[in-house]
Amino acid sequence: MTSGTGPIPKISLQNITKKFTVRPSKDSPEGAVLTALDGISLDVSAGEFITLVGPSGSGKTTLLDLLAGLTKPDTGQVLVDGREVAGPGRDRAVVFQQYALFPWRTAAANVSFGLEGVGSDGKRYSRKERAEKAREYLELVGLGGFEDRYPHELSGGMKQRVAIARSLAYEPDILLMDEPFAALDAQTREQLQTELLRIWATTGKTIIFITHGIDEAVYLGQRVAVLSSRPGRLKEIVDIDLGDRSGDEDVRSNPAFVEHRHKVWSLLHDEVRRAQEAGHAKIQPDGTAPDETRTITTGKAA
Amino acid sequence: MSTPTLTKETETQTGPAAAGKATTEPNPALRPGPGTTPAARLRRYALQGGKAVWGAGAIILFLLLWELGPAYLAPASTRVFLPPLHEVLEALGTLIGNGQLQNHLAASLSRSASGFGIAVVTAVALGLLVAWYGALDRFLNPLLEVFRNTAALALLPVFTLLLGIGETSKISIVAYAAFFPVLLNTIAGVRTVDPLLIRAARSLGLSNVQLFQKVILPSAVPTIFTGIRMAGTSSILVLIAAEMVGAKAGLGYLIVNSQMSFLIPDMYAGILTVSLLGLLVNYLLVGVERHFSRWRTAVGSRTA
Repeated sequence: MTSGTGPIPKISLQNITKKFTVRPSKDSPEGAVLTALDGISLDVSAGEFITLVGPSGSGKTTLLDLLAGLTKPDTGQVLVDGREVAGPGRDRAVVFQQYALFPWRTAAANVSFGLEGVGSDGKRYSRKERAEKAREYLELVGLGGFEDRYPHELSGGMKQRVAIARSLAYEPDILLMDEPFAALDAQTREQLQTELLRIWATTGKTIIFITHGIDEAVYLGQRVAVLSSRPGRLKEIVDIDLGDRSGDEDVRSNPAFVEHRHKVWSLLHDEVRRAQEAGHAKIQPDGTAPDETRTITTGKAA
Repeated sequence: MSTPTLTKETETQTGPAAAGKATTEPNPALRPGPGTTPAARLRRYALQGGKAVWGAGAIILFLLLWELGPAYLAPASTRVFLPPLHEVLEALGTLIGNGQLQNHLAASLSRSASGFGIAVVTAVALGLLVAWYGALDRFLNPLLEVFRNTAALALLPVFTLLLGIGETSKISIVAYAAFFPVLLNTIAGVRTVDPLLIRAARSLGLSNVQLFQKVILPSAVPTIFTGIRMAGTSSILVLIAAEMVGAKAGLGYLIVNSQMSFLIPDMYAGILTVSLLGLLVNYLLVGVERHFSRWRTAVGSRTA
């Protein structure tokens, strides 16, 4: 792993375009082609924490899926360490909004999920090593002692901590987070934001963090990338400089924060209104609209 | 899958309240529950006892009606066909005493177990395939619908004609009857796997086989077991009917044969055995089902 900004950015999006064919519905019997992302170019350097904000339907999740290797762009390239992303890999981890914990596994077994089998480097962990790692990472996210709990025995905040620990456990370079704190109450969210910054500082991961919260974006990110309403384009990247955020002071009330926040808000404001007028809703990666009954693409998709 | 101990369940009941912010203390303080004083404990026992009596009340009333009804309520002409409970129990005792009941029970059990076993194995395998391959589903589904909606007993004559009245035809019809609940639940179980879990597993780079083994199967197991439980009930039902039509042993045979030989108490003893067997099988399968879906239900599902 290279530190600092080398000649090759950690992640490089080069003129990405992604279209979806929406399945036929009552309103549009033929089905329409939707452009989710249009000509996105973005470089992220190693160890950077970048947040992505945009109105609903601006393709935030699609962008994350592309980075995770769950889908492929129609045009353009997604490069990680200068190599094109061919599919999911253990150099990248995804943290989902709805935790996505396996309910039949205990917290520790969830964390060690990604350690089972042969890793990309050909390494195989023994059961004992996996348990050890699970404990270590649960400890890191502040859940030491909760190894044997099942997800239904944990609160939302704790579940998301387990999910973060699971993503960190197999030691990816990049953490892709899809509105991870959106389902949590305000207090827990703030707590986890602070924790995430601490984890970022200790592990030095590159983090791409999607959110629709402006405060969250400004608080967490070194840069905030603002996406336009559909089709998703990169509207502007705002550099955030809040000084040292590790202290106990209330960063959110300092003038620099307020100023940055207002800047992002103004950028986003028009886009949100435009998205609302157009009635954009979330489109699932498989092209289903949310109001339709969901079907599962079990195997062959993407 | 790890097996948690029972002690954890009591501990976690106090969990959610303290769970919110406690990040390092794993064990929230256990509050002593109410009812630690002798008087309160006595009251609780009395309450539980009362509940138990109320719960068994309908059964007791029914048994009383069975015992006394034939003597006092039924007209003399039907009394012969409706022996009181104690006569039935005596007949049951005699049947157990001379080993007849055991023979019939063994015959029935081995048939239903083999049929049921065959059904579970084949239905789970086919169900997984059908749920996994959409094309196979579209191809087979109409035919499966036709068979599913054909009552198993309607096909009994066909089975008898083709396979004779021996064991083969009985095991086959039991397998047939047990097949569909398991199949349909297996398909449903695989279909209702949370797509998010699949996405999460995919993002970890799991192959199809690993995805199946580590996500889809464990997630579908509770639903599959619901089907297995339903299959258990229907396999007994169909077996008894099949044994009534043509057999030389088995509980169904015992019932019909006793009726024809005018051993009315024996007939009721057979019926009683069937219902007890059904209860037992269901109870066992519910236990197994609960064991496998433990993670799905909140811990609060108490069995007091």
